Amino acid sequence: MTSERTYLTMATTTTYSSSEVVYVPRAGTLYDTLELILDRGMVIDVFVRVSLVGIEILKIDARIVVASVDTYLKFAEACNRLDLEATSRSTTIPEMFSGTAAKSLGKRKVKKTIESVGEKLRDVVGGSEEGDEEQEDEGPETRPRRRTTKALSEKPRRKRESER
Amino acid sequence: MTAAGPYVYGIVACDHPMPAELRGVGTPQTALELLPVGATSAVISAAPVPLRARRRDLLAHQEALLTLALDGPVLPMRFGMVAPDADAVREQLESGHERNLRALDRLAGRVEMNVKALPATGALAALVAEEPRIRELREDVRRRPAYEANVRLGEAVVQALARRAADAAQEVQPELAALAVACSTGPHVDGTTLNMSFLVARRDIVAFRAAVDRQSARYRDRVELRAAGPLPCYSFAEPEGATAAAARAGG
Repeated sequence: MTSERTYLTMATTTTYSSSEVVYVPRAGTLYDTLELILDRGMVIDVFVRVSLVGIEILKIDARIVVASVDTYLKFAEACNRLDLEATSRSTTIPEMFSGTAAKSLGKRKVKKTIESVGEKLRDVVGGSEEGDEEQEDEGPETRPRRRTTKALSEKPRRKRESER
Repeated sequence: MTAAGPYVYGIVACDHPMPAELRGVGTPQTALELLPVGATSAVISAAPVPLRARRRDLLAHQEALLTLALDGPVLPMRFGMVAPDADAVREQLESGHERNLRALDRLAGRVEMNVKALPATGALAALVAEEPRIRELREDVRRRPAYEANVRLGEAVVQALARRAADAAQEVQPELAALAVACSTGPHVDGTTLNMSFLVARRDIVAFRAAVDRQSARYRDRVELRAAGPLPCYSFAEPEGATAAAARAGG
């Protein structure tokens, strides 16, 4: 079992962790490649295919979150809170934005909306009867998932750093 | 725990090594085997019953394909392909033998990189600064705060974000395609304005990532780029619209 885990870790490292793409919050997670695993790859007609009922539901949920009045209001609020006085000096140089407090406040609201889609996805894909506890113990498998949640909350900070 | 015919992960060349410790879908994870047919082999394991698209199984499928790909080209199956029995797998590999060999040849030394473009929701300040229409609506709301006006503003913001992201994605795409052997538009994913996979030589992965970095920095006010990979070559396993059905009809 130990050797198996080592192997998986190695594969994961080779694949994702060497990425320099820091602005990508969820690179290499299942979340970002789910549609390829499910909708691409070779198909052989006479073979049986696993039922994907839960996954379809997820896609519909996501669409509602993206284009709802609720989302509009959140964007409007974030937009209204922007301190344009502070930002108007740098219309073409975003690095010089100093209205970071107002900006990140709005950003956080928006991120929350987006995060709710991710939560739903984890519910659908990870919400089997084996539960998450067992998966938490498995190391390599759980890492992308943790990163998903963490990366979302870390992102505004990371971006501010790069904007200094 | 297991019954039914073999779960099929993908197709490799018959001389492809099989790491003994490699495991696949199911709980506990199943051992992978090779089923050789001519110059190719199917990578199979027992199929878990019931088989569902669980997170750990999706990851197991992907990890197995990625590990195999370190030793040579792999034609990845879509997740969840279960054959009626081993003979059915043999038949499929026989009828698609030449086509599979050509596909393996084409994928040798190459990986799939996926890039998604999303609206830059974190760059609202830039949006307000650069979009006069948004500024107008924003002033309206500030003068006369009202639910309707807020919805109008929010909707305009969402639309402008999408438009700006789509425009930027169009600029980004050829820059990345220049480093790829082939491109393939991915399935629509809600919330993204572009989902594209690139077939990239392994030795060009670093250069490809650097290009994504450059484009991301260049268009950060308009689009958020997310890159994933190297991945199994899901999007390039079946070229020129050739399907297994067509191959069967021909053979």
